Amino acid sequence: MTEKDYNESVLLYADNVYRFIVKNLRHTEDAEDIVQSAFEKLWMHKDSVEPLKAKSYLFTVAYHLLIDHTRKAKRISLQESFENDTQAAYQENKALKKVLHEALATLNETQRSLVLLKDYEGYSYEEIGEITKLTTDQVRVYLHRARLKLRSYLISPQQVL
Amino acid sequence: MQNISLHNYQDYLLRYIDGALDLRETEALLAFVTLHPEAQEELAALELTKLEVPTISCPNKALLYKNIFPVIVEPETIVYPHKQKLFKKEKDKAPVVLLKWWAMGAAAVFLFMMVRYGILDQKGGTALSKNSIPKNNVSKASPLAGVKNNDVVNTVSLSATKVVTDEKNMTTNAIEYAAAQNIEHQTIPTAYTVSALETVQNMPSYNGDIIDVKRTVIAEITLPSIANNEEATEIIETIDTETASSNRSVMVGAFEIDKDKFRGLFRKVNAIIKNKENNKNEK
Repeated sequence: MTEKDYNESVLLYADNVYRFIVKNLRHTEDAEDIVQSAFEKLWMHKDSVEPLKAKSYLFTVAYHLLIDHTRKAKRISLQESFENDTQAAYQENKALKKVLHEALATLNETQRSLVLLKDYEGYSYEEIGEITKLTTDQVRVYLHRARLKLRSYLISPQQVL
Repeated sequence: MQNISLHNYQDYLLRYIDGALDLRETEALLAFVTLHPEAQEELAALELTKLEVPTISCPNKALLYKNIFPVIVEPETIVYPHKQKLFKKEKDKAPVVLLKWWAMGAAAVFLFMMVRYGILDQKGGTALSKNSIPKNNVSKASPLAGVKNNDVVNTVSLSATKVVTDEKNMTTNAIEYAAAQNIEHQTIPTAYTVSALETVQNMPSYNGDIIDVKRTVIAEITLPSIANNEEATEIIETIDTETASSNRSVMVGAFEIDKDKFRGLFRKVNAIIKNKENNKNEK
């Protein structure tokens, strides 16, 4: 990968990686740090990364940074972080979307990452398995469990609008 | 592909939400859903779990670029103060006159002949003047005693005329000179008694290339004294004829050129030109 390829990767994938991280963490500053770390790692290993694999490499690095970050900050409640994140750049106006993101917050990191990688980036089971170091069947099962959990949250009597 | 039933349709629905079904499975699932309302409600509930892609952009993306803004160092504007002196203007060249081939050939032949016959001197002088007999030299060379210089000159001229008549190749320079001297002294003495041994000591003769002085011993010539005016007159006439030949010389710039020397040359040049023109016409 050349410098030009790297800069092109920034242009194409920075938003995607940031979106993936910020939806997981629900904390913009931490998400920025992780994105920056992911791209720094890509820059350091640009000679060994092919341009076509840049996106997958970035998501893989970002995912593992995300896991490390959440493990270190386990004591902090995701819910509290989300509630305190009043200055988030995104604002979900619609109630359904808000409930959906609340439901997303109830998932564990792996399930949430699988849902985000699937819905946001459109990765296949195999590609998600490469990023998350899971098998294809594990991805499929974990992802289906996450969907059913979200559905259960959405159709629960207290969440019905 | 397994048949879709009430026991496994949820798995098909989840895969349908994830976009993991192929076309045949999708058509079969949609057909099953239309037949089973509970499956239709389940599909609607699962579709709600699908996240829409938000329009979130990375806030500090510019920090991630590497060397995307290269620093351009502008060159210093150093101006040479005396640049105007360096400009050059080509001087007007003399116009080139293109000569035709025959003109160039004629010029070349002319120059060749000039060099060949020594008409041109490297020092710029004319051969004619160089080879002409100097007046004092003749007078000094003539060992005649008791005769004035002018008379000696005349005698030499006359004697030379006689001798030259025998030698056809004698250069005309000497004759011209002698004739000229003769003209200067129109008062020809009536009688000559000349012992003209080696009188033509310095008389130039033409030997083909170089005009040099040929030492000739001439028999004693005794002209009749006064009574033989006719003979002297004849000689004078001959001299006059030769003097007329001096008119053959042509002044070309600072050079005096004898026409006779180039008479054959011009003929040859004309013949060559005519031949070439004829060849062209034939072609």
